[in-house]
Amino acid sequence: MKNRTTIICALLLVFSTSTLLAQDELLTLIDEEETTEDAAINYTTATFKGTRIVNMQSSEIPSAGVMQFIFMHRFGALNDDFVYNFFGLDVASVRLSLDYSPTDWLNVGFGRSSVTKTWDGFLKLKVLRQQTGARTMPITAVIYSSMNYTTLRPGDGLSYTETDKLSYVHQLIVARKFNERLSLELVPTLVHYNLVPTNTHPNDVFALGFGGRVKLTKRVAITAEYMLQLTDNNTFFNQETQQNVAYKNGLSVGVDIETGGHVFQLHLTNARGLVDPQWIGRTPGSWANGDIYFGFNISRVFTLVKPKTPEEPW
Amino acid sequence: MRLIIIACLFGLTQQTFAQKYLTREAYLKFFGSTPIENIEAVTNQASSVIDVTTNEVVFQVLLNSFTFEKALMQEHFNENYVESEKYPKCVFKGKIKEAVSLSKTGTYKVTIAGSMTLHGVTRPIEVSADITVEKSTIKLMSTFVIVPEDYEIIIPGAVRDKIAKSMEVTVKAAYKPV
Repeated sequence: MKNRTTIICALLLVFSTSTLLAQDELLTLIDEEETTEDAAINYTTATFKGTRIVNMQSSEIPSAGVMQFIFMHRFGALNDDFVYNFFGLDVASVRLSLDYSPTDWLNVGFGRSSVTKTWDGFLKLKVLRQQTGARTMPITAVIYSSMNYTTLRPGDGLSYTETDKLSYVHQLIVARKFNERLSLELVPTLVHYNLVPTNTHPNDVFALGFGGRVKLTKRVAITAEYMLQLTDNNTFFNQETQQNVAYKNGLSVGVDIETGGHVFQLHLTNARGLVDPQWIGRTPGSWANGDIYFGFNISRVFTLVKPKTPEEPW
Repeated sequence: MRLIIIACLFGLTQQTFAQKYLTREAYLKFFGSTPIENIEAVTNQASSVIDVTTNEVVFQVLLNSFTFEKALMQEHFNENYVESEKYPKCVFKGKIKEAVSLSKTGTYKVTIAGSMTLHGVTRPIEVSADITVEKSTIKLMSTFVIVPEDYEIIIPGAVRDKIAKSMEVTVKAAYKPV
């Protein structure tokens, strides 16, 4: 009995003086101190690579002090004399936009699209941030609103008021990064057109957007989005069939490639319009008919205001 | 027999009551320069403990506490390089090689030998440091160089020209007794 006690004591002493153990003990001292204070908040970052998935807004906004330039391009349809139109380049549509984030939760910007010669102004407001740690929030929520003003000259000789040229889009973007690879979002949407083609056309079109991305490598991801229109009577007159047919839902698939300050997004879509009210509620083209447009978005960010970094203590 | 156990336990508690100095606001900076771009990241939230009886030093820092000059650099650092969701901490454990007594005031030039764990890779490391012992504070300053590739942090070809092969690390910590 006495022997055993001595051995235990000896072991205890050996352990207590063991260097490795002592260093780990010093680390536990740090951990103890850390757990006594409020655990740090861990915000989920990089739910998506770009601020758009393809046409649809993602839950991302650039960080505070960052200005972003986006160049969006859609070439001619694959079924529209593709080679004659030099693989669609001759009939390409373009949108240029510039936005800025004064804070981490607000982004404002404007853009100009060649389709229907439309100017748009928009704001994105981050209201919830997905996070773990001191507080748990399973989703990120962003409010998005855009106002769109078409400068297309009316060809029918009628006179229009300025307000006739306006349309609005409001969205709530609810996103979740499930893991490193998979992020999904749900986007309830309302489009309001001040001017519609006939009095049977709805001024308000409700829609529900679905979007997501799957990362293949650290810098390459596959993306997809679908905008399901929920409002009836949103139709257009088809010249071929001489019938009113419903506008199609926008469906797009793409690849995101990230290199430093750029994000390249290459995609195929049935929506040629680049401005929100166009691609959400005015898409005549369908995938089944081969109305498929190749396109890309390229973004470049510029840091205008540098984030505050801690100062050297001495 | 009981006495022996008590004596041993006393020995153990002696160890835990040993003189330790702690900071949770240690300043860490890493800097890498290339002709195209400089990368600089700073935190003042590193934790460190010095045990003046055993001359052991440990550091621990949460990698997502580093602030960069560009927000996108910070995102890439956490997401693509150190993968801070998978490996949140960088840990240094070491011991001062010289036989200095840090319980006496003075300035000491020392070498700290130990190991550093970053990105799930643990490697031996030896750094030189200046330690100033004042009445109730200890100040430690050190600069050394680390090579990200040693810790399996892979820099792809496309950005190879923009990210330096080695990073200069600056450490400044002011400790208070625990």
